[in-house]
Amino acid sequence: MSGPRRERRKTDPALSDPERLYVITGDLDDSERAALDLVTMVVAQAEPSPTFQPEQAAILRLCQAPLSVAEISAYLSLPFSVVTSLLSDLLATELIESRAPIVRATLPDRSLLEAVMHGLQKL
Amino acid sequence: MVRVESPPTDREVPVVRVVLPPVVLLAGATAAGVALVVPAARIPVAVCGAITTLVVAVLTVALHRRRRAMAAQRAEYEQRIAYLEHRILSHDSETVRLTKEVMPAAIRRLRVGNSPEEVMRDIVDADAANRHLPKALREQIFQVLEVIDNEEARRDSAQRAFVSVARRVQAIVHRQASELREMEDHYGRNPEVFDDLLRIDHGTALIGRLADSIAVLGGARPSRQWPKPVPLFSVLRGAMSRILEYQRVDLHSIAKVAIVGTSVEPLIHACAELLDNATRYSPPQTRVHVTAVEVQTGIAIEIEDGGVSLSEEARARAENMLAQAQAGINMNDLGESPRLGMAVVGRLSRMYQLQVSLRQSAYGGVRAVLIVPRDMITTGPAPGIAHGIGATSRPTSSLDMSQLQHVVPPPGKRKSKPKPAATGPVPSVVAPAPAGAPAAAARPATPAAAMEDDVPVVTEWTENGLPQRRSRGRAPLGSHNLPQQPPPPPAPVNGGLPSRGGHPDGGYGGPAGPGGPGGSGEKPPGLWLEAFTKAVNGVPQEPKHGEDSDDAWDKGDLK
Repeated sequence: MSGPRRERRKTDPALSDPERLYVITGDLDDSERAALDLVTMVVAQAEPSPTFQPEQAAILRLCQAPLSVAEISAYLSLPFSVVTSLLSDLLATELIESRAPIVRATLPDRSLLEAVMHGLQKL
Repeated sequence: MVRVESPPTDREVPVVRVVLPPVVLLAGATAAGVALVVPAARIPVAVCGAITTLVVAVLTVALHRRRRAMAAQRAEYEQRIAYLEHRILSHDSETVRLTKEVMPAAIRRLRVGNSPEEVMRDIVDADAANRHLPKALREQIFQVLEVIDNEEARRDSAQRAFVSVARRVQAIVHRQASELREMEDHYGRNPEVFDDLLRIDHGTALIGRLADSIAVLGGARPSRQWPKPVPLFSVLRGAMSRILEYQRVDLHSIAKVAIVGTSVEPLIHACAELLDNATRYSPPQTRVHVTAVEVQTGIAIEIEDGGVSLSEEARARAENMLAQAQAGINMNDLGESPRLGMAVVGRLSRMYQLQVSLRQSAYGGVRAVLIVPRDMITTGPAPGIAHGIGATSRPTSSLDMSQLQHVVPPPGKRKSKPKPAATGPVPSVVAPAPAGAPAAAARPATPAAAMEDDVPVVTEWTENGLPQRRSRGRAPLGSHNLPQQPPPPPAPVNGGLPSRGGHPDGGYGGPAGPGGPGGSGEKPPGLWLEAFTKAVNGVPQEPKHGEDSDDAWDKGDLK
């Protein structure tokens, strides 16, 4: 596991927090993660209220403007799965909205369009 | 002893008086017989009479002697009995004094750390009241002290063994926990593995708490040290992470204070034990509510469950257990199926001057109130981890937050201005390198330009230390319904030059805020991608704090 293939981030134990990730994630058993991707864009639909868990409040604040799940994860320094679990809760209560990113492949390739344009112009 | 002479004086006179009557009587009878009998028989009668008289006289004297001797003897016996009774009485009282005063005093001295010999010297020999103790008693006291001393030594070593085993377990658990945290980061993108990791993590935390409990009961202080203050919220969540049914715990309105580093671990542990009690002894579908409010003496953490109310008797027992533990509990007192919780809480509360009380809750369950003394609390900013794990990416704590409104990453590293190019579609149209600064300055005015350069820029830090991004223009996906142009970014604080200061990220007014080297600005497009992927993969940010809290950015900047 700890082979050289992976460079783990070295956490300084002095800086780690007393809380473990499962406390943030909440109940493991009944959690069904929404279909979220690293690049899914998330937008908050509500202002954070004091009753929220700090992480959820942070997400709502961060996502005033659309933000990808990956970015949220990076800003919160939380693993992707924790973020998706938090987002799933927020999605369930409709406090955020998620949107799959536009896949590049579905857009016409610019160079192709240019090629076509040039081709047409040459005609 | 007192009355030795009195009986003899009584009897001294009567000797003659007692002998006289029978002798006189017999002498008279003899004389009468001599006078009455015929003259021929007079002589024998007189002889017989004289002999009889003599015999009677001798007998009487002998009798009298004997009676006197008996009386003397009886008196002597009585005297001796009285003396013995007196001795017994004094002996009894001596024994009582020994058990009630001397022994406890001796044992107290022994407990303080004196050797049995020293105790004997101080308690027995140095005290005039005890100096005359018979040798056997001294022996007895000494032996008792020796036995107690041996027992104490044995118990101490047993406890030390307990503690050292617990310490080893703690070390393993601790290492395991940090390993798990790394794995969680690494496998964060794989939900199945991640969930399993969390389960293992949870189990490890439970083992860790048990080891902590054993160490505390063994008289040790919690081993784990937290070098910096930790917010109370995190402390309570830390306590939650160590109990089985953490899902049932609700944290409400937790006072925004931080706990000083040295008190963090004991507080986490004490709260964890109380939470464990609360969840364990209440129905599984009920919730446990936790609040923490400031009170005169510090912070009152209330843990309320909806379980069966504690009967007066049970409450007394629990409080008794607490009190016992506070007085210093013995591992031996725990019994066969130990309920460690209260004992641990009692121990900890004695070591750290916490106050614990159990009351009936308004919900019918139990309400445990833990008062954290004021000297454990600091209201200063808890560096780094302000709220939960996420906030480690805040800028250095040395900066005044109020000044940080428009600031971005920490001062340390930002030498080059422009932020990573864009998460947006194509950088080709983006303002060219030289234009970077003007474009930035112009941005508020010309949103159109911004549409191309739609890097969301962190323009604000929330009070929790989380970066807040503002989109400069539209988000990459033009289709959504958000306001197309979010409010213009707040004006830079120290309204510096348009070139740098105007840039929302350049304008941070922090102490370290360097104007930064010239317009070195534009970095090759595409570099942002590296930062992006790095951030997205398991290695989001070096938690280095301070200097490069925002890794993604710095990675981009450095190139």
